Amino acid sequence: MTNHLLGLLVVIPMATSVVSVALVGRRRPQRVLGVLSLGSMLLLSLRWLLEIRDGDVLVSQMGAWPAPFGITLVFDSLSGLLICAGLVVALGCYVHGFSTLSPETERRYFHPLAQLLMVGVNQCFLTGDLFNLFVGFEIMLMASYGLLSIGGSRRQMGQAYKYLVLNLVASTVFVISAGLVYGMLGTLNLADLARIVSGRVASGEGLPTGFVAVSVLLLFVFGAKGAMFPLWFWLPDTYHTPPVAVAALFSGLLTKVGVYAVARTFPLVFAVGEARDVVTPLLVVSAGVTMFLGVLGAVSQHNVRRILAIHVISQVGYMVFGLSMMTTAGLAGALYYMVQHMVVKSSLFLCCGVMERHTGSDDLDKVGGLLKRDTFLGVSFFVAAMSLVGLPPLSGFFGKLVLIREGWGIHWWLSVIALLTGALTLLSMLKVWTTGFWLPPGSETSTPTGEPGGLRGAYVGIGFLVITALFIGLAAEPIYDIAFHAGEQLTDPTVYIEAVDPHGLVASLGGSG
Amino acid sequence: MTTVLAICVTVMVTVSVYLMLSRELKSIAMGVFLLGHGANLAILAMSGSPVLPWGGLRQPPILGGEHLVDALPQALILTAIVINFAVMGFFLTLLIVTARKTGTLNVDELAGEEPPRSSPELASEPAPVAGLETRSVAD
Repeated sequence: MTNHLLGLLVVIPMATSVVSVALVGRRRPQRVLGVLSLGSMLLLSLRWLLEIRDGDVLVSQMGAWPAPFGITLVFDSLSGLLICAGLVVALGCYVHGFSTLSPETERRYFHPLAQLLMVGVNQCFLTGDLFNLFVGFEIMLMASYGLLSIGGSRRQMGQAYKYLVLNLVASTVFVISAGLVYGMLGTLNLADLARIVSGRVASGEGLPTGFVAVSVLLLFVFGAKGAMFPLWFWLPDTYHTPPVAVAALFSGLLTKVGVYAVARTFPLVFAVGEARDVVTPLLVVSAGVTMFLGVLGAVSQHNVRRILAIHVISQVGYMVFGLSMMTTAGLAGALYYMVQHMVVKSSLFLCCGVMERHTGSDDLDKVGGLLKRDTFLGVSFFVAAMSLVGLPPLSGFFGKLVLIREGWGIHWWLSVIALLTGALTLLSMLKVWTTGFWLPPGSETSTPTGEPGGLRGAYVGIGFLVITALFIGLAAEPIYDIAFHAGEQLTDPTVYIEAVDPHGLVASLGGSG
Repeated sequence: MTTVLAICVTVMVTVSVYLMLSRELKSIAMGVFLLGHGANLAILAMSGSPVLPWGGLRQPPILGGEHLVDALPQALILTAIVINFAVMGFFLTLLIVTARKTGTLNVDELAGEEPPRSSPELASEPAPVAGLETRSVAD
């Protein structure tokens, strides 16, 4: 189905960002504008998500140029679910930022940068071709560089360059691989690429020379953005230094875009035929190591923010585990897990922010007895933490259930690692819960910084995300249904290809550039 | 022609890797920029050789003719150059601010900046304005 309004998801935040720059220094109009922009996008995308719940695909060709020539935006089950989750996260963090960001940070470009981040994220999720995926990545990264160094404290400046350099190198490799793909196959449109590649594999012609190498290069790129096993070192430092609303926004969006890029491009194009034999073992090993070492790192930490940041890595492992199976249920499980993880993880970071406000520290030695002091925070943290661990009525459970059941028949040892990782996650979450909230504060508890009041925005943000997380858990079936459609469309891309590129123009020309 | 391009790309990538392995942020930045240029040349090579196998040159699309140059890689490069330019500006600004705030651009010394575990400074406390005030590099 064609829907020409899809571009709004990119246009609205872009326009808001520009207007917010004009409003710099005036907090209230910026806040109202930002919430309006995110809220309207959320309503739009929820409406479209309802429209496609039976597995339809919404497509918009920019300027009515047919698929391989113009810019294609696609809103299918995969991108739709992630866009909705991303906007929920953004809205929660945004409102939270009203009360936890320092006024200086907020006046100076937090609002335009956060909107710009959403331009990039939405474009990554929507785009139907490889080069625009690169452009989306770059917009998102530019905004994230800005958000990361906003405020410019000494510690932030000392850490910002790691993230910057790693992502610049990864982006450059992405450009090179996109160029190579174009040189080999003569198109960059994903649907067109899928048609050509599967056609060549089916006809026995085989993949062009070097195609497997390009697949692995792209895996490196997306792995670096998504913090998979050998390329995760940038993440803990990055999430440790910026203001907490920014860290929560990053934890919900950045790595997930990397994982999304793998989910979108690999089953469709880059893990077809002989490329699959090379890529799958890499994904499997990376998933196992990412899950397990990630959680070990988290158990060894003593700082709430660091614990949460390193858990992000461990949970990226679960998603990659689902992707590595390349089956319908595996991909659907990974997608469901991703959606709930985005919401839950951000709400945990937001709780950590309020904790820092109450006690002046996120070091577990220095906090304690928070449950008595702030029951709402305690309950929210508990619900979010148990969702992360995956206790039955909560959202994490269903994601893990699907992944582990599906994985049992394919890589049983990965399922064992996943279960073990879950147990260790429980351990580290209980550590935070008991020392931070349950036990009375120790003797060296630090005194609160800042005024105790003025946390209304923070509570609204946390409440919104935690209620969404509960909803994802309690209404697991409709959401999983959409995720299952996404899994079906990834394992059998005919629907996607027909919707995006019904004519197959480049493929009919023989597919050489 | 393609061979010449390939050699250029190789040299640029080699030099940029060498620069990126240094411990000085300025050299790392230069390495990253050079890598971007190398990538652009690599994409240019993807549009094929402008020299036809039987002699003569491919025509630019605007002039028309039978054998045209593939213009798409050039459009891609144009986008990549613009992005590179923006990133370059940001990176250099970041270097200046980093030098003002921390007094060093050496990766080892910056790594020593991070306090080991609990940090006295909190992100939620009002941070100083991005370092545009005139402070000496050595503070």
